[in-house]
Amino acid sequence: MSWDSFIWFALGGVLLWASGAFFAWKERKALVYVCTLAGIAVFFAFILGMWISLERPPLRTMGETRLWYSFFLPVAGIIVFSRWRYKWILSFSTLLSFVFICVNLFKPDIHSKSLMPALQSPWFAPHVIVYMFSYALLGAATVMAIYMLIRKKDATEKEINLTDNLVYVGLAFLTFGMLFGALWAKEAWGTYWAWDPKETWAAATWLCYLVYLHLRKAKPAEWETACAILLVSFICLQICWWGINYLPSAQGLSIHTYNVK
Amino acid sequence: MAFFGRHKPWNMKKGFLIGGGLLFTGVLLQVVLGPVRWGLFAWPVNLIVLIALLAAIGVMFALRRKVYAFEWMMHAGAAVPCLVCAAVLTMIMGLTPQVRMGGIPWLSQMLRFWPFVLIWTWMMIISALAALNHLLRWKIREIPFILNHLGVVVAIVSATLGSADTQNLRLTSFTGEPEWRAVSDDGALHEPGLAIELHKFTLEEYDDGTPKRFASDITVYTEDGKSVRGTVEVNKPLKVNGWKIYQYGYDVNYGTESPYSVLQLVRDPWILWVYIGIFMMIAGALCLMLFMAPKPVRE
Repeated sequence: MSWDSFIWFALGGVLLWASGAFFAWKERKALVYVCTLAGIAVFFAFILGMWISLERPPLRTMGETRLWYSFFLPVAGIIVFSRWRYKWILSFSTLLSFVFICVNLFKPDIHSKSLMPALQSPWFAPHVIVYMFSYALLGAATVMAIYMLIRKKDATEKEINLTDNLVYVGLAFLTFGMLFGALWAKEAWGTYWAWDPKETWAAATWLCYLVYLHLRKAKPAEWETACAILLVSFICLQICWWGINYLPSAQGLSIHTYNVK
Repeated sequence: MAFFGRHKPWNMKKGFLIGGGLLFTGVLLQVVLGPVRWGLFAWPVNLIVLIALLAAIGVMFALRRKVYAFEWMMHAGAAVPCLVCAAVLTMIMGLTPQVRMGGIPWLSQMLRFWPFVLIWTWMMIISALAALNHLLRWKIREIPFILNHLGVVVAIVSATLGSADTQNLRLTSFTGEPEWRAVSDDGALHEPGLAIELHKFTLEEYDDGTPKRFASDITVYTEDGKSVRGTVEVNKPLKVNGWKIYQYGYDVNYGTESPYSVLQLVRDPWILWVYIGIFMMIAGALCLMLFMAPKPVRE
């Protein structure tokens, strides 16, 4: 398996997800699950194939993390659909996943086989995978926040409830990612937390989502402020994920920059 | 104290006022005392500080019915301004290059900046009070809350207070010559109480020339007469007499033929408490999504 065959798996995955999304609008529940899960299986087959042929989990380059992000969006989408029955959620997750697939198709990163020694650890896969799943959920929460803020009317209880749930689960996975990273860092470098720029932004992001959680508890009526906080939090998340590669304060200081050559 | 006494319950504005007050106090301390000197917290000072902190938290908790401020601190409404202040300072830290010396005054050494330290301390105090409050209700359904709030306090307080006791040394070991001297970050020479002899340094490369594996075959001799033979490689440290030994570097000019290996020796007596805190937080996060998230609402 190599990136050359990606387009076929991506095409199969996206077509199946799009069919699932279509059946969601038509309220054909069984077909929604069959198509979406089949798409997820097709897409995962590619990830698995890459994993085997690279002889390491495909998690090192920016392109490889995007691969997981495209995979987790429909996964998060189908979970949300199964609990809240939103007709639009699968259209949204498919579209966003499609965007990330296109980025990978048109702007592939260096996809070499080598994995530097620091990354050869049992913590590598769980650390990145839980982060990508968390980013997918928190991305969906951000879209909900924008949607509710734009309408300006009173958001329904159901919408606020969905946003809360996305943040609770997303934050839990964000915490897993951060703490797995700390446990790994102790084994690799002898320190569990070094305030490396990426770690600093991970802490800032984590604190922002905690602000949301506590504000929702303290002032449930102020959902508009809470939505605004979600936007700020998501910006922090983006800085943490890829923004620090361009941030002057992180240049030459971060051990977390991608595609080190 | 009329201002802080009237108009219960307090709103978040009061929380931001406290945050502002801490920032202001922090700036004053920074001007008068200079940056926080974490080195002064070495054992047993950190133990005394810990006892004082726990005593303060205990007193605040005991007086919660008498002093409204202490009761207020346990609620989510007090956490919001505190978390906002902490988040903003942490973002500033992420935007300014963090260097040991120089850079932007105050902000480039954020970890030694008093306002940053005071805000995080305030966060630890209110989180501990909230945890205590739920702990004393002693119900199964309080466990998720306690794990999250106590876990973060245990992890961060022991990591911070323990930092001065953490030893981080680098030992350069040449083939066949036991070495017992090591250097700390500031260049000072130390004798960690063990000697390390390098038998062989191994460097494996991928076909494209990028490094695949660094490993040092070593014997560690301890003061109590033990000798331990083992291999240290990246992500696989060796543990001997309370020290963890990590592969750190080699002579890059010689590569695979490097005559020496640089090993990193780390000793962190507080690590167990940091791990306890981290595992409480992991369990807490699991509870966060399983039990604490609001029940789904359908139309």
